[in-house]
Amino acid sequence: MNRRRRPAAAGAVLGCLLLAACGSGKSILEAGNEPRPTAAPVTTLPGQTTVPGQTTVPTAPPTTEPRPIDSLPPCDMAALDEAAADGPVEILFWHGMSNELGRELERIVDQFNASQDRVEVSLEFQGGYEQTIDKYLQSDTDNRPDLVQMPEYTVQLMVDTQSNVPVQACMEDAGYDASRILPTALDAYATESIQWAMPFNVSNPVLYYNKKVFRDAGLDPEAPPLTLEQLGEYGRTIQATGAASYGVAFDSAPDGGGGWFLEQWLAKEGEFYSDNANGRSAPSTRVLFDGPTGVELLTGLQDILTTGGGVYVGENPSGTDAFLKLADASTPASMTISTSAALGSVLQFVEGGIIPGIGVEDLGVGPMPSPSGAPGTLIGGASLWITEGRGDAEAAASFEFISYLVSPEIQSEWAAATGYVPVNAGAVELDPLRAVYTGDPRFRVAYDQVAQTPDVPTSNGPVLGPLREVRVTAASAMAQIMNGAEPQAALTDAATLANALIADYNARRG
Amino acid sequence: MTRDAASRRRWRDAPLALAMLAPSLIVLGAFVLYPLARAFWLGHQRCDPTGANCRSNGWDQYLDVFRSEEFQQAFGVTFRFAVLTVPVGLALGVGLAVLADKQLRGMGFFRTVFSSTVATSVAVASLMWFFLLNPSVGVLADWIGGVAKNPGLLQDEDTALWAVAISSIWANLGFTFIVVTAGLQSIPADLYESAYVDGASGWMRFTNVTLPMLGPTLLFAGVVLTSRAFQSYGEFDLLTGGGPNGSTTSLTYLVYGNNSIIKNNSGLQAAVAVLLFAVLLVLSLAQIRGVERRVHYGN
Repeated sequence: MNRRRRPAAAGAVLGCLLLAACGSGKSILEAGNEPRPTAAPVTTLPGQTTVPGQTTVPTAPPTTEPRPIDSLPPCDMAALDEAAADGPVEILFWHGMSNELGRELERIVDQFNASQDRVEVSLEFQGGYEQTIDKYLQSDTDNRPDLVQMPEYTVQLMVDTQSNVPVQACMEDAGYDASRILPTALDAYATESIQWAMPFNVSNPVLYYNKKVFRDAGLDPEAPPLTLEQLGEYGRTIQATGAASYGVAFDSAPDGGGGWFLEQWLAKEGEFYSDNANGRSAPSTRVLFDGPTGVELLTGLQDILTTGGGVYVGENPSGTDAFLKLADASTPASMTISTSAALGSVLQFVEGGIIPGIGVEDLGVGPMPSPSGAPGTLIGGASLWITEGRGDAEAAASFEFISYLVSPEIQSEWAAATGYVPVNAGAVELDPLRAVYTGDPRFRVAYDQVAQTPDVPTSNGPVLGPLREVRVTAASAMAQIMNGAEPQAALTDAATLANALIADYNARRG
Repeated sequence: MTRDAASRRRWRDAPLALAMLAPSLIVLGAFVLYPLARAFWLGHQRCDPTGANCRSNGWDQYLDVFRSEEFQQAFGVTFRFAVLTVPVGLALGVGLAVLADKQLRGMGFFRTVFSSTVATSVAVASLMWFFLLNPSVGVLADWIGGVAKNPGLLQDEDTALWAVAISSIWANLGFTFIVVTAGLQSIPADLYESAYVDGASGWMRFTNVTLPMLGPTLLFAGVVLTSRAFQSYGEFDLLTGGGPNGSTTSLTYLVYGNNSIIKNNSGLQAAVAVLLFAVLLVLSLAQIRGVERRVHYGN
């Protein structure tokens, strides 16, 4: 090929690429797959109900067989006694707790290491939950830690890696008394009748609000809104009286207002997020958030924005945008919904005096407002997973450390410092948490939400392999709706993509 | 005969040549060639979330990925990002370099300031712009007002890519400035003198002497900036997380981002990465072949 013809060749290749660029309009998830047969017309069988705008929902979902614990990796607590005779067993613990939370965890680990000489824990911060997940998934057993902290949305993903000693095996072998561990928190990390992981840090969404603005607007600062309708009314009053520019600040982050809150809201309304009882009676095949409850909920949120009760702050990629809107000097909002785990950090931030006009006492905390105002919440936060294949002594040592972390004493310290809900009911009766809960009821709100959660199947959140990706699709729909899109259409599109994600995941898990 | 002898000698030299090439071959092989081949192979597969249990999904997976809605959108975002950042970045770099290319007192200070962003990491630059543009506490948001205040330049679908581009242009300015300054210093002074004698104005000297003589430098900087723009990741991850509504989901974000729907889907991630490589290869070739002939290398 001579020199002159080369540009022509390059141009031809580029042209080919551009020609191929006529998009197929199909999702990337379908790439390489054989075209699926077109769906057969839906017929309603006896025992099934038809919901408008939805395909049929079986009224009696199939139930999974409980998995026998013997079929899973065992846990031998005696191995630790033998190994510890020759010196402490060293275990590596990966976590995703940043800033204040990370410093408090470091303090607790140092305290544990100093308190005994059987187990030596070394702590490694991975940069956040997402980084921990990436690193854990991509590593083989040799490069994984003995113990890992994983957020609540990874339950199915972790079970499917088949890389863990279920904590239940250790609990049984050690004769561990779990009666004081919050049952809803335990249930969140149990599927197929197996307790896979131990809850450690439990959080849920709460309403943060500016009491000063409430007073200026003539609202009772001790009576925050409980229903979405009240949330809108409060916002409109605040805006009308000029006490603040906006009422509530909504975001649409996947792990905040866009994805996680949708799961919370549906649970509070007694609805499943995905079929087969949130994937807990059998693997989920599709999501249900595009049903009538979801549409009604999102229409309600949209109304708050359009009637002047609130402001939309975007996708909140840093997790701080909604809070910062409350500190806006020129056009502030006066309420926002965010995780209870932020309470300790927010109070420290306010205490620093960076925000003019807002003091520590001005920050109010209330339950998460919902359509009906019903109490209750899904378990957020993270849990502790023991890695299989790292040695019996290491697995046993990991469980010994877990028992320490969830003991009433340590949970009392941990919850008092961070704002997390203690997973051990005994923690509430001990100082420092007892003192914090009586002295500063704001810290108690998240705990009460857990305690008041009704004991019904919908109170256990969805377990989907690709739950994080499904949250992203839901968050995208919520962002569109907050920007004015029609709720049903946006939710239906998101559900279609979410169902494709679930199907793709199940096919890959194979 | 002589040709055979020469060829034999060449083959005799092969082991020595190989030995001398070995150090770079091993490094290149381990860190570039093997991963590239592996990614290419992975791109036709589907694996479980841990990257294990891979099975072939057919080589047409590449074509389907290329034509998929998500890839097309990310391709469009990436292309627009390059179109926004490269010409403006080049123009600003040349402008600043020409301004600072004078023998005046204190010019060293300006050269230091203009090139300083080369020492600023993407993370630092992005966080800086994140807070400058933040609608609640950012300085710029209050000055600009309007959409910058609600929901914020980074959170509006129409402005997010522009806002990320501004941060990126700023962060890359130091590099362009240094490269162009070096290019300017290699232009012989007598060219300017003869142009001056011929009565050329300042602007004419810039367009008829400076720019043509800068050709090779601009080509180099253009190719590097384009490839950087196509491979930008940190800006998108830190400033927007691929949002709002996918308006800043670039090809790299589609591969690596936490909010990508093909996260934990290594086959599809590899396919997108390899396609990005192919696009960049074609683009760089086209740039070099297409522009090279119009570039004046001197003599």
